[in-house]
Amino acid sequence: MIKNFLKLIKNEFTLMLRGSVFTIVLYSLLLIAASIFSLALRHVSFDIEIAIAFLWVIIFFISLIKVEKVYATDFSEPKLQQYILSPFALEIVVFLKNIMIYFNLLFLFIIFSPIILIILGIQLSYLLPINILLALSLLSIIFISSMTASITISKNNKLSITSVLTLPLFIPILIFSMALTDVVDFQLNKMYLFFVAYFLLNLAFSPLLTSFALKKLSV
Amino acid sequence: MIEIKNLSFARGNNLIFQNVSFRVKPNELMVLKGTNGQGKTTLLSNIVNFLDPLAGEILYHGKSIDGHTASQYFLYIGENNFAYDNLSLNDNIKYWLAVHNVNFSQEVRDKSIKFLFSELNLNLKFYQLSYGQKKKLQLLLLMLVNKPVWILDDPFNGLDKNTVKKITTLLSKKVENNGLIIISSHQDVSIPNHKIFQLK
Repeated sequence: MIKNFLKLIKNEFTLMLRGSVFTIVLYSLLLIAASIFSLALRHVSFDIEIAIAFLWVIIFFISLIKVEKVYATDFSEPKLQQYILSPFALEIVVFLKNIMIYFNLLFLFIIFSPIILIILGIQLSYLLPINILLALSLLSIIFISSMTASITISKNNKLSITSVLTLPLFIPILIFSMALTDVVDFQLNKMYLFFVAYFLLNLAFSPLLTSFALKKLSV
Repeated sequence: MIEIKNLSFARGNNLIFQNVSFRVKPNELMVLKGTNGQGKTTLLSNIVNFLDPLAGEILYHGKSIDGHTASQYFLYIGENNFAYDNLSLNDNIKYWLAVHNVNFSQEVRDKSIKFLFSELNLNLKFYQLSYGQKKKLQLLLLMLVNKPVWILDDPFNGLDKNTVKKITTLLSKKVENNGLIIISSHQDVSIPNHKIFQLK
């Protein structure tokens, strides 16, 4: 069982690499959006918080789109039927897929981040804190997005609208992310612990709720 | 033994089937027959616990079938393909065998793969394969996943004569080895002593 579990992780990693093209497309769109943002505000002097807030909102939407895309393909009905009948619990498969989406988005962001910061006029000295902040908050964003996606991809279109019920779960992440963009306090401090705690909270119930929604709504 | 007692199923206000009852024992193959829309696939989904029935019972060795029983004893092959289009055939084989926790030796695996895919380049991407070739991946699971109950939704659909013959051999051997099989099929099945249940 452990041998096959390790194989499953390896295979999910391969799938994650194959899915990188879509993530690169999303980050390319982010570059275009950042360029438009900077060009549109070229005559206006704005604080760094505005650029970071802009970056954060775009990253939030990229995460949502990526999770939706992966869930729509990887949890289509025939695949889901096989996962349900697999000896591995569906919760484990959901967890693995979420973690792979996380690494995929994070690694590519680390690669793209210097150029994004230059386009947005953010000093490169903020590169490390921004990457750490994203690494911590992205975990929760992806686990909450997975709950949203599991409802959105359901066969029952009437129920899809109920996925908006999960959106308030994002609010704490956004509020704390914005608080952290305060440049003066942009050091590693205890606020970062919030993301770890919130992620652990999500980790406890998100795979359970996601797999429950997938089983009940998509098969 | 699988026993179905007075099973009814509805989608919303639409009653799909009503009061379906039959039993299938080990060493038996049951073929579900019926025209399109009569609920063959839905009935199979009920048996595997993918869907909850409106009324009635489905028992496996006298106990109600839950998710745990289904994953432990049942192998389900549906009409649509579950493989990943962007992975090669070989990667798909590795992936789905890992998902089903298959632990056969490399030699047994290679023999089974050769039996079904003898003429095929395993490095081809899955989307490059024909419908029939894609379907063979599903059948590979039949050969390697060791579960006592097979639930198959139209397994002969879109396959050439040679492959139909191979599947018929697989089904016959499974039945001989104490297996229990329920399939839905529009085609006649050339396996001796199989039972037929007509959905009305």
